[in-house]
Amino acid sequence: MKQQDLLNAIILICILGGGLFTFWTASGNIPLQLVIGGITTVAYVVWGIVHHILSGDFHRKVVIEYVLVGLIALVLLATLAV
Amino acid sequence: MRLFRLLHHWLVPHEANNHRAKALHHEALFAYVLLLAVFNLGIRYFHGKMPDVLGYATDIRVEQLVAATNAKRAEYGLSPVSLNGALSAAAAAKAADMFANNYWAHNSPGGKTPWDFIIGAGYRYTLAGENLAKNFQTSDGVVEAWMNSETHRANIVKGGYKEVGFAVVNGVLNGEETTLVVQMFGTTSAPIAQIPKAEAAGPAPTVAPTTAPVVEEVVPEPVALVPAEPAAVNTTPAPAPAANFGSGFSFERVVSVPKINISTLTSNVALVVVGLLIGLLAVDAFVIRKKRVVRLAGHNIAHILFLITMVISGLGIVRGSLL
Repeated sequence: MKQQDLLNAIILICILGGGLFTFWTASGNIPLQLVIGGITTVAYVVWGIVHHILSGDFHRKVVIEYVLVGLIALVLLATLAV
Repeated sequence: MRLFRLLHHWLVPHEANNHRAKALHHEALFAYVLLLAVFNLGIRYFHGKMPDVLGYATDIRVEQLVAATNAKRAEYGLSPVSLNGALSAAAAAKAADMFANNYWAHNSPGGKTPWDFIIGAGYRYTLAGENLAKNFQTSDGVVEAWMNSETHRANIVKGGYKEVGFAVVNGVLNGEETTLVVQMFGTTSAPIAQIPKAEAAGPAPTVAPTTAPVVEEVVPEPVALVPAEPAAVNTTPAPAPAANFGSGFSFERVVSVPKINISTLTSNVALVVVGLLIGLLAVDAFVIRKKRVVRLAGHNIAHILFLITMVISGLGIVRGSLL
């Protein structure tokens, strides 16, 4: 694994781990938890874009894919919060 | 054979589907978003229209709340609190007032404090406290949530309390169907008119109850959960709960068993959707790696990690909240 890939992986784990931890600390406050879920999703999409720019395989299709996966996760989260 | 080809086209990346399972193409992902959004809105709509069919399974009973509260006190080496009719009446009046005036707070918008309800119910306390909870599904869930909150736990395991009152009631708060639990603790230095239910069924009390007004200095001890402002003695009776809920209304339990439990339904759907997506992404990643195909697509492992994180977060959502 290249050093850049390792750094990307560490950043991703920090984003997801930080999102999960913050989500947990906001337990009992569903609107805040949904906001945290939204921020985590945006951070994930940005991570994906930066990752592909640095890898040299950035394309509009890739951005759309990250946005759609992010939307699926967000709608699922909102459904679980009903 | 045709079915196999169709499944292969939708589930496995190969040349004909541009080396990406059809079920992971943008159109398919967009369709999942739309379907999940329709499912989400459908649940909200049908829950509002038919709560008996699509709703939240709830089973909260006063006797279970008392037992769970005393079990927690026993863990701290404390004596049990007994269920007191006056405190329960105060709790019922508080719950009714919260629904009538649409608030979720210890003090009413009109400035009425928990102490006003306790005194209004005829309980002359030297020490009192209040815990509130809404939208939990079980009695144990309520008490566990209180125990996980430092300020609420402080009330439950306060050695000074001798009696407790509960009200459990369903209503609409801020436009949302709400199961409210009001817990009121108290200690009085003198016997009061109401005989606690637990005592009424058991041995005769050692001190005979009296209907004479208790002339007692009221020393409210503001607990962590309630405003620090000392309560003045208020002789205005609390509004009768029956005024809002009808004379035959019970404040002792909320038991609701809808045909479809929303929590179970949404959890199962989320797990199935995420499970299928993770499976598709894993197969896609495996085949592409094995065939050493170079293509423009997102990072499958990252998608899997992200989806797992979000679904774990979602499954950990607790609908209930405390005050």
